[in-house]
Amino acid sequence: MSEATGSAPPTGAAASPVTSGREADSALLPVDVERPSAATPDTSRGAWTLSLPEDASAHGHRIDTLLAWSHRFELMLVVVALGWMVLAAWRFHQAKRAAPDGGTRRSRAWVLGLALGAFAVVDGTLLLGSEGYLRDVLWNFHVPAADARTVRIEVNAHQWSWEARYAGEDGRFGTPDDVVTWNDLRVPVGAPVWVQLVSTDVVHGFSLPHFRVKLDAIPGRVNQTWFQAAREGTWEVACYQHCGTSHYRMRGVLQAMSPESYASWLREAGRQAEQSFDADDSAAQWGWEWKAP
Amino acid sequence: MSLFSSDHKAVARGYLWGGLGFLLLGGLLALIIRWQWAWPGQPVPGLAWALPESRGALTPPAYTAVFTMHGLIMIFFAVTPLLFGALGHFVLPLAIGARGLAFPRLSVLGFGLYALGGALVLASFVVRLGPASAGWTAYPPLSTPAFTPGLGQTLVTVAVLCAAASAFLYGLNFVVTVVRCRAPGMTWGRLPLTVWGLFFASVLNVLFVPVLAAATSLLLMDRLLGTQFFIAGAAAVGGGGDPVVYQHLFWLFGHPEVYILILPAWGMVGDFVAFFSRKPAHGYRLTAGAMGTVTALSGLVYAHHLFTSGMSPLLGRTFMVLTLLISLPAEVMYLNWLMTLWRGSVRLTAPMLAALGSMGVFGLGGITGLSLGAVATDVPLHGTLWVVGHFHLTMGAASFLAVFAGLYFWFPKMFGRAMHEGLAKAHVVSSAVLFVGVFGGQLAAGYAGQLRRLYDPYQYTYLKHLLPLNQWTSACAFLLGAAQVLFVVNLVWTLRRGRVAGPNPWKVGTLEWTCAPSPPPAGNYDPVPVVLRGPHALSQPEVLEVLGKDWIGQAETLPDAAVDAPALDDTGDGRSLGVGGVATSGGVA
Repeated sequence: MSEATGSAPPTGAAASPVTSGREADSALLPVDVERPSAATPDTSRGAWTLSLPEDASAHGHRIDTLLAWSHRFELMLVVVALGWMVLAAWRFHQAKRAAPDGGTRRSRAWVLGLALGAFAVVDGTLLLGSEGYLRDVLWNFHVPAADARTVRIEVNAHQWSWEARYAGEDGRFGTPDDVVTWNDLRVPVGAPVWVQLVSTDVVHGFSLPHFRVKLDAIPGRVNQTWFQAAREGTWEVACYQHCGTSHYRMRGVLQAMSPESYASWLREAGRQAEQSFDADDSAAQWGWEWKAP
Repeated sequence: MSLFSSDHKAVARGYLWGGLGFLLLGGLLALIIRWQWAWPGQPVPGLAWALPESRGALTPPAYTAVFTMHGLIMIFFAVTPLLFGALGHFVLPLAIGARGLAFPRLSVLGFGLYALGGALVLASFVVRLGPASAGWTAYPPLSTPAFTPGLGQTLVTVAVLCAAASAFLYGLNFVVTVVRCRAPGMTWGRLPLTVWGLFFASVLNVLFVPVLAAATSLLLMDRLLGTQFFIAGAAAVGGGGDPVVYQHLFWLFGHPEVYILILPAWGMVGDFVAFFSRKPAHGYRLTAGAMGTVTALSGLVYAHHLFTSGMSPLLGRTFMVLTLLISLPAEVMYLNWLMTLWRGSVRLTAPMLAALGSMGVFGLGGITGLSLGAVATDVPLHGTLWVVGHFHLTMGAASFLAVFAGLYFWFPKMFGRAMHEGLAKAHVVSSAVLFVGVFGGQLAAGYAGQLRRLYDPYQYTYLKHLLPLNQWTSACAFLLGAAQVLFVVNLVWTLRRGRVAGPNPWKVGTLEWTCAPSPPPAGNYDPVPVVLRGPHALSQPEVLEVLGKDWIGQAETLPDAAVDAPALDDTGDGRSLGVGGVATSGGVA
């Protein structure tokens, strides 16, 4: 597999050079000598810490809070259900007498009432919290559409890499200054990032675990999502749908940069793209109409 | 055992051996996956003969084949056949007082199709370009020849089609048998909960397995005939088919399949908890009704598997509401089990321990599914090991333990010999504990972000720190595998020299224990019993008084003296045996 790295992200974190040295002692052992290393390792989390990947997005905390609540409820329900089961088995083990009936009207009403109560509280919280997030963030494309700072990126998923296209300085896709990168996403901090997602071959799953973003890339479809980085840093892009043999290596790096360094990177990359632009290379020209909300 | 006998008990034994064999194979494949996550790329002990080039180490292609075959084998050739093929075929006609299944030759045909499918699965391991490797869901276009050209993928697709046809046939057979072949007096309100579970699940088989057959057939045409049902052109350019249509079809079957695998388990748990608490099931009708509600909703929740496919917000919201709704009947049923245990006289036999274990792991599994039902909380967890841990607890561990609860319970009836209780108890308790260890570890890793199906998760920096957790989980998995030796030893020992079981070792009143010898002859009953009461007539005061035992058979008559005794009329609190062995107090009757 060719890991086409457009320009190796020059990040300071754990810099092991991305070389082509794949001289594993046995060529048959699929050991990856050149593990891409740009992302900052999450050393604060031990193996046993039950925690989500750190949140680097502007809106992810809403999901995290809801998820934390859902886990509190889950823990509570587990303690009640399993505690009750164990207690009953222990307390009534070989008890001399057993109740001869299948419950009274009252006990059955209790069952229905308890179930309804637990359902209303637990599922209700999840439903309402989820609905708020969907309305405000996940399915609210008015935000990136209305914001002048919004950065648009076209992501084309391949077996097994992420090809990203930026409009360049003219702000239009399909022009010679379009910047194309491989497995290398760059976004400015503090601006909405609007992603159009397609796939060239099979179904892939575009995910930014640290931004609580997950969306399928499906051949024949243009899917959209958006997110916003809360701070500078380097994180990973992962594929979460099984997309073939090297699925596990479909790893990209996302850099959240200051708006200034993002602008200067885009300017420079756009200039280089214009220089090497080949009008006859039709395979390199792609981009899809952006549907406004 | 004759393969050509159309007696439902012979067919059941065929499925039993087939299902256990595939359970072993699927389990070994699972252990290989766990090995890879604990020691990525290291040679798997004992696998050098299969992968000589890499001296037994998993390569990425071998790994994708292994997890694909693990999922397929477990669902289509191990757990479903054990629940329906083995336990269902054996118990269902006996429990309703029938002489056999409605269509005996159809059940032989169904077993033949299952055997053919199983043979194709085994054959796929040795064909050119290897076994299937597109995941058990086989999403196109990955599963089309352009990306998975191997003959193995085609063979397995045909095998799934065979298993589906077999499942449709026994589903149909069970539905007709329960509707038409119940013994006189076996009203709907007197069915054991096991029969309710099998019945509802069979309805789901009849309704939704054809959807799988449709998806699989279309995929097969894409693979073999060059059709393009599921192949879109280059992104947004070409016309033709649509891969998402497959996803809808697949999950319209795939989600009900979860309930196909768990409804019989729920039924058995409901029955065994009542039998071994020595009291009638609490809220029998509520429980049966809850199982029916789950059945009715099961096809309406499937699209939560597609929350991240870019589906319309309108659909997303609808399926979120429906998905969350299905937890309500499940809670009702669960609370009823707990209420059945309460104030009972609990006997911790092997089937009871397995049923309680099934209850426990199902509780954990069901609860961890809540956060997958709401769109916002599903997004970070979608496609992670959290999902894997969740569904393995519900349809893996819970169904597995229910299968063994049923097997330990009905083994004396099947073979006339009782399995060793101590070994059986050690087997189910250690299995239940280790299931929680394995799938709990997966839940933790998934919550921390570990994605499913990664050959080497540690390619990702943010997952590197999960290696010790995965090693611990794998250790639990190997122990779990080792614990199954207890069952094998018990099985071999029992079949050779197990003690002969009495006619009713568990002292329960259902028809198979009270009206038929162990093992029952061809034709089951002669004459067919006349059913007088429900399945859980346990610890009734008048029975204790008259018969001196705490149970009474469903078709057993109480001596007239007791029936006429004036004392009986005083028990106005609903201890009448009239309706289903269930209290008839209040306005519920």
